[in-house]
Amino acid sequence: MLFEALMIALLAGIAGVDLFNGLTHMHRPLITGPIVGFILGDVQTGLITGASLELVWMGMAPLAGAQPPNVVIGGIIGVAFAILTQAEPQAAIGIAVPFAVAVQGLITLLFTAFSPVMHRCDEMAAKADWKGIDRVNYMGMSILFSFYFILAFLPIFFGAEQAQTVVEVAPEWLMSGLGVAGGLMPAIGFSMLMKIMFKQSYIPYFIVGFLAAAYLELPVIAIALVGIAIALADYFQSSRVAAQVPQQAGGVNDGI
Amino acid sequence: MAFESTLEMDAKAERMLAKAEATSTVVADEYEDQAPAAELTRKDITRMAWRSLALQASFNYERMQAAGWLYGLIPSLRKIHKNDEDLSRSMKLHMEFYNTHPFLVTFIMGIVLAMEKSKERLSVIRAIKVATMGPMGGIGDALFWLTLLPICAALGISLAMEGSLAGPVLFLVLFNAVHFGLRFGLAHYGYSAGTKAISALKEHTQKLSHAATIVGLTVVGGLIATFVNLNTTLVLEVGQATVALQQDLFDPIMPKLLPLVFTLGVFSFIKRGVSPLKVIGGIVVLGITGAYLGFL
Repeated sequence: MLFEALMIALLAGIAGVDLFNGLTHMHRPLITGPIVGFILGDVQTGLITGASLELVWMGMAPLAGAQPPNVVIGGIIGVAFAILTQAEPQAAIGIAVPFAVAVQGLITLLFTAFSPVMHRCDEMAAKADWKGIDRVNYMGMSILFSFYFILAFLPIFFGAEQAQTVVEVAPEWLMSGLGVAGGLMPAIGFSMLMKIMFKQSYIPYFIVGFLAAAYLELPVIAIALVGIAIALADYFQSSRVAAQVPQQAGGVNDGI
Repeated sequence: MAFESTLEMDAKAERMLAKAEATSTVVADEYEDQAPAAELTRKDITRMAWRSLALQASFNYERMQAAGWLYGLIPSLRKIHKNDEDLSRSMKLHMEFYNTHPFLVTFIMGIVLAMEKSKERLSVIRAIKVATMGPMGGIGDALFWLTLLPICAALGISLAMEGSLAGPVLFLVLFNAVHFGLRFGLAHYGYSAGTKAISALKEHTQKLSHAATIVGLTVVGGLIATFVNLNTTLVLEVGQATVALQQDLFDPIMPKLLPLVFTLGVFSFIKRGVSPLKVIGGIVVLGITGAYLGFL
């Protein structure tokens, strides 16, 4: 278990850096899930659990500095425990969220603790010491890496067995209840997205998307293309109207 | 989309300016050497774009991205400012409070380097920095966190749920094609167009965010029907007949009726500012209660 825990910790370290720097988004549960699965010898479960967790975090982006529950630790710990305890992918969400919330609290502390370093940077700027500024940034990334490495290693190395025991003795209704809750969690991410985008004039597009999935059972990619088509039509329509405005003084109506 | 009127934007820009000045150690407003520096090469700008990946390496609450922002500019600044005094003045300016969207930052970096190269006054460079970082943050949130990420993720998830590794691969490729294309493209565009780029951007912002919202909401509507899972197992005894609520009542009205109603319910909580964490807790309680009593 030591080797597996170290490998998962290494992945968490890299993903933790990627969450703030690089931003390739290999830190999302959709990607870390199958990698954790590979380390623990069950890629399929990792893939499906990762995708379930991705749904929960989909709408929880770091908007304007507000920090959502930590997606890196939530994804990695959730998938690892789902595989180690053989729980349902849906139930993994119940395990992942408390960890994710705790870690986000620690991140807040980290960002606070790093504030005084800025005054050192001011001194460096006064001396035109650019190498010092470089060093501060490399140090920041190293701290992030170590931080995530430790936070992923500890629960997996010390908690895997206990978690298995808990899952084994838990009553049936509790585990299936967590599964039901897992199936409902995506509603939170979608609501977060809607909170930003939902204005009355956009309701028709929302209805089109819902009907295309509920009645026609179109896959998501097809619905995205429908959305793009509508957006393009809307764009050309508004450009045409804008182009016509100067000529409309004569009351010419183009058959609209 | 989350765009304020221009009036609010100005108030915001003023707040940002005050914030930047509060953290400033800049004393001079001009560079000693007023002669414009040599043009930066494409290689310099590309290097800046690579280094911009570390924008949040030293993120903190006091200056946010300042030190990471300076890290991205350093190689070019060293080429532009040949004497240490000017380099120091420039570095002090760029250590002021800074925060914008990490994908669009290269656009502003390019503009700023064009200004540095022509030895603009420091207060003018600061004004451009703070005037662009707010709007860029807003556009970036709308385009990347609320449109690109959910759409790419949704495509990846739908493949992954069927057990295909193509899901994660497709997600990474799609997302990063857009991400890196913009990061590097906008760096060069920002540098070559200079401050002219800002007015061009203002023109397109509104249209772009409107289009992004249309695509985003269409997809969210589809995602609710596809991924929110809610069926009731409740069976009512009505005299002689039994009525299974799900099959006999809800499904005939409309498929996915319960997920839609439930999501709109959650949305009304989130909209009123209830924290997502409380909602998560509530959902867990609901799921366990439902399973215990046997209606879910």
